Amino acid sequence: MADRIRDELMAMATRLFDEGKIDHFLGYQKGTVKFKTAPLIARSREDLEGLWVEDYFAHNLALYLKEIKGKVGILVKGCDSRSLVSLIREGQLKREDLYVVGLPCPGQIDPGKVAEVATCEPEELEEITRSGPEVWVRFKAQEKRLPKALALLDKCLDCQYPQPLIFDSLLPGEYVAPVEKTTPAEDELRKKTGTEKWSFWSEQFQRCIRCYACRNVCPACFCPRCIVEENMPQWVSPLPTGGDNFVFHLMRMMHVAGTCTSCGECERVCPMGIPLRKLNNKMADDLRELYDFVAGVDLDKPLPFRTYRQEDADDFIK
Amino acid sequence: MEAKPEVGKKEKDWEPRILAFLCRWCSYAGADLTGSSRISYPPNVRILRVPCSGRVNPLFILKALRSGMDGVLVSGCHPGDCHYTAGNYNARRKFSVLSRLLEYVGIDPRRVQFSWVSASEGDKFAKVVSQVVAEVKALGPNELFRLPDLDKKLEGQEGPHL
Repeated sequence: MADRIRDELMAMATRLFDEGKIDHFLGYQKGTVKFKTAPLIARSREDLEGLWVEDYFAHNLALYLKEIKGKVGILVKGCDSRSLVSLIREGQLKREDLYVVGLPCPGQIDPGKVAEVATCEPEELEEITRSGPEVWVRFKAQEKRLPKALALLDKCLDCQYPQPLIFDSLLPGEYVAPVEKTTPAEDELRKKTGTEKWSFWSEQFQRCIRCYACRNVCPACFCPRCIVEENMPQWVSPLPTGGDNFVFHLMRMMHVAGTCTSCGECERVCPMGIPLRKLNNKMADDLRELYDFVAGVDLDKPLPFRTYRQEDADDFIK
Repeated sequence: MEAKPEVGKKEKDWEPRILAFLCRWCSYAGADLTGSSRISYPPNVRILRVPCSGRVNPLFILKALRSGMDGVLVSGCHPGDCHYTAGNYNARRKFSVLSRLLEYVGIDPRRVQFSWVSASEGDKFAKVVSQVVAEVKALGPNELFRLPDLDKKLEGQEGPHL
């Protein structure tokens, strides 16, 4: 299946270059590490050679659009297409500059998780294959079938948009039926007391080393100069102390509110494993509940902080 | 806004320090009226005048808490009364989301409070402040952002980190 999709994608991208419709094509290539893919930025049809299709596409390619000028062809999964919609809505991208190639997504495999089940390093896995909803892994002369929950990225487990929301052409492929989500995300933490919440998050944020990987990988973080780098006045100390880490992360959440599509890239790249997606989900649930707003699904709906209604919630104000 | 915690002060003498962001058109004038009407209110608030409640960046609130303020009060014009038409409506949306987010990370919502006080509501301003001070007093000093083992290293050093 992956080969068929790859051939079709290759033909499509080549044609786009030949017809002069795009200056760049954004896709994936094989990573240098086993079971990893890396972004591929093709400047011409010759660069397309490395184009690769796999079941473990982790990156959200919308990130790279910030730095690429001209017409761009881009390969997107359902979740990435939401980033495109939210960035277009924010005025960061122009729809007419994009040629969107949609990939119906069956959920992406997380080799780290698979390796955990197989109790070995990801490099020691021999093969990960997929048949229908099942994932099979071969390692150390064993073969094991894994249920979805143990093989896919966390964000894929409650995916509501496996089919790209905007696209110019669609690749063949199966996608899993979307999860109907009207209730807020499952999160045990929300039921806990204030003190428990605080001790959970202090423990998490104390580990933050302020490498800013979360910010750098975030498609929604598009400020030309981040508040953490401002020094007149200095809002946040650059030292990774607990208190300043809190200010940084909470502020980042406030900045991306309404643009963040909970794509989970921040959590994926965090070298300290801080569960940042919990905050994203909380923010998304609040915006849905308060303002009936879901980021990245509607090109026309006004952004939550650019509009207001007189009857907005007022109960927390004295 | 750099407020150094008063070291060595006995706990029973502790008084909360509240930073109040007051809108220039309503709440600041309201606070003025409280004074000129000789209504007394707790002296724990430090008032900062802002052009509009919409000017208050969530970062200001976080920074105040990080700097050791025990509580923050943001006060603006009643809905519909904004001098700039919609500043307080926009502020309300921001603060709704912020207060829920703060609650989620375990910061007591009583530490960060919001109110609408008009220029004619001197008595309401006194009431709001007394209420906020009483609630923050009950919560105790803000130790939240002073994570002990990490901040200890920095103690005694000059700079914006404390």
